[in-house]
Amino acid sequence: MHGVHGRALVVDLASGTAQPFPIPDDVFRRVLGGTGLATWLLLRFAPPRVDPQSPANPFVLATGPFIGTGLTTSSKLAIATTSPQTGFIGDSLTSSYFALVLRRTGFDALVLLGQAPDWSVLLVEDDRVSLRPAHDLLGLDPEETAGRLRAEFGRDLRVAAIGRAGERLVRFAAVVNDGRLAGRTGPGAVLGTKRLKAIAIRGTGRFPPVADPAAVARAARRLAERSLGPETAKYRELGTVANLVFFSRLGVLPTRNFAAGSFPAAETLAGERLATAHRADRQACAACTVGCEHHFRTTDDGPATTVRLEYESLFALGSLCGIDDPNVVLRAAALCDRYGMDAISAGGTVAWAMECVERGIALPGDPAEWPRFGDGRSLLRTLEAIGERRSPLGDLLAEGSRRAADIVGQGSHAWAMHVKGLELPGYHPRKLRAMALGFAVTPRGACHNRTSAYEIDFSERAGDEVDRIALATARSEDRSAVLDALPLCKFLRHCFDDFFAEAAELLRLVTGLAESAEELRTAGERIVTLKKLFNLRQGWTRADDTLPERLLGPDGIDPAELEALVAAYYRIRGWTPDGLVPITRLHELGIDPLLVPTTSGC
Amino acid sequence: MARDTSMLSVEFYGLPALLAGRRRVEATAPTLRALVQVLAERFPALLGTVIDPSEGWLNRGYVFVVDGRFTRDPETELRPGTEVLLVAAQAGGVR
Repeated sequence: MHGVHGRALVVDLASGTAQPFPIPDDVFRRVLGGTGLATWLLLRFAPPRVDPQSPANPFVLATGPFIGTGLTTSSKLAIATTSPQTGFIGDSLTSSYFALVLRRTGFDALVLLGQAPDWSVLLVEDDRVSLRPAHDLLGLDPEETAGRLRAEFGRDLRVAAIGRAGERLVRFAAVVNDGRLAGRTGPGAVLGTKRLKAIAIRGTGRFPPVADPAAVARAARRLAERSLGPETAKYRELGTVANLVFFSRLGVLPTRNFAAGSFPAAETLAGERLATAHRADRQACAACTVGCEHHFRTTDDGPATTVRLEYESLFALGSLCGIDDPNVVLRAAALCDRYGMDAISAGGTVAWAMECVERGIALPGDPAEWPRFGDGRSLLRTLEAIGERRSPLGDLLAEGSRRAADIVGQGSHAWAMHVKGLELPGYHPRKLRAMALGFAVTPRGACHNRTSAYEIDFSERAGDEVDRIALATARSEDRSAVLDALPLCKFLRHCFDDFFAEAAELLRLVTGLAESAEELRTAGERIVTLKKLFNLRQGWTRADDTLPERLLGPDGIDPAELEALVAAYYRIRGWTPDGLVPITRLHELGIDPLLVPTTSGC
Repeated sequence: MARDTSMLSVEFYGLPALLAGRRRVEATAPTLRALVQVLAERFPALLGTVIDPSEGWLNRGYVFVVDGRFTRDPETELRPGTEVLLVAAQAGGVR
């Protein structure tokens, strides 16, 4: 098979040694690569019911066949591990050079097992690995860490690092490479558990040859041209921050910990206003022609700060916390980057604490230090406390909203806005039935990236009957899984007339696999089902596929309707009414050959 | 000042707002297709990026919300007082 190396490098962190691990072509045919490959490797190497914070929890970094082919937006790295937030699969994507360099080591993936004897940097140079002591790097932010290592080992080295939040095992700590964060589900905390401050990679080999180089080059040119069309102009010109004021207008902007769907001060945080008053520059990931990454600068009297801002960080650190000052939001986003924390979970957890304070529920520590809705200084102070796990309050909130509510009690679970332990992104499900379903059932918890179900709500299909909404939601998940596996950026999805057919043709040109559109769609469903199988092994139950209490009722979705949607989704997936995956369904999807019994219990 | 109820309220969000240089305008048009013509004449900056001049219709990736309902049907009838939002489909899509 073309387009892949056919092997992973499995690293034993305890000894600092590594062994190649063959990956049969059949695995790539069934799960493609990227998130699909990472999920398969996680299932293969994780013991059942693995504790996310134990050395036995594998940490997988995987590439996909499109990386290095010249196909625009394909330089994406997939990470899979067991999430310290959810206890289920934690899969996260990050972009840019790290994925390209990993691909040039001669391996499709890295699997990190065990725990380093002391704080270390894992250095991977082609097929050689070593551990470099990392005590001199502790306390540095991810960018500083990468700078030190590249100065020491060479500029061709690429680095994925954790910040202080990862060192301190903040459950929503991110892994940061090339200025991009793999933040959702807390992979940075897993690296912290493994005592890895960073992974530094140098790959000097070639990308695996593609099946039809001339045709791939032509296809890459065509895709690049399409990526510069009107379908992606919004990402280039304004970025995702444009969503905020529109969402507020529609009543779906999470505000003050989801107590409301509109923010009276939305115009002060409007993307259009940020673009005119705060814009600094625009950047692109490696091998990307879209260039969606917009940087904004502060304009107040404080220290000058420039930071990347997306809609998700804007809502989570803005309206969700009742903050209407764009300078505060920019400083908060910069803090999350510096500490290496997922901004959605950080904002969601602080918003939970703000509501506790508003309701008169005591938090640990000095009441003068507690965060309050609309109080920018308290937001910034609390984020620092979390990133450092400083003070009893910071230590509590570093656990995320679900565990913090476990500890504080007093009914505070009612406003802990998470699914499976993962805080909700910026879509208030009050008017979004498909998104409500997507949040409830997606294996990694409340997520807008593993399902683009909001597209159904924001279309003429919004009023469809339950079965059609559930079917469209499942197909949206399948498409996202394929995009994450090839990989291609989701911002390209509107550039295709028939995504599965056109992506299948690209796959044929790269790998030689002659998959039909439906077979490629099935690969997406297979990947979603593999994630589900991992969750089942971790103890998933039907009760996990739900929404926070606040959203079940007039302020969200009718519980009976959500039940009907979930039941329809299970039927469409071929699962039992309890959400279990029958053996017959594994056969139908061609998953059973992937589930090889191993000594690790897979 | 009271709003003229014989007019449509048209609101721009995201890139259309940036290009038009405003959030809200009033207009008269019997259908969305006619409204697109009106907007093209009043805001030439929308041509190319938001409106396809050759088709006289929205480019793929842009959508109207008419009284709370997402649509790309150019024959959608508009009545005085109708609220129309024009937005880039980054907040979703119709495909």
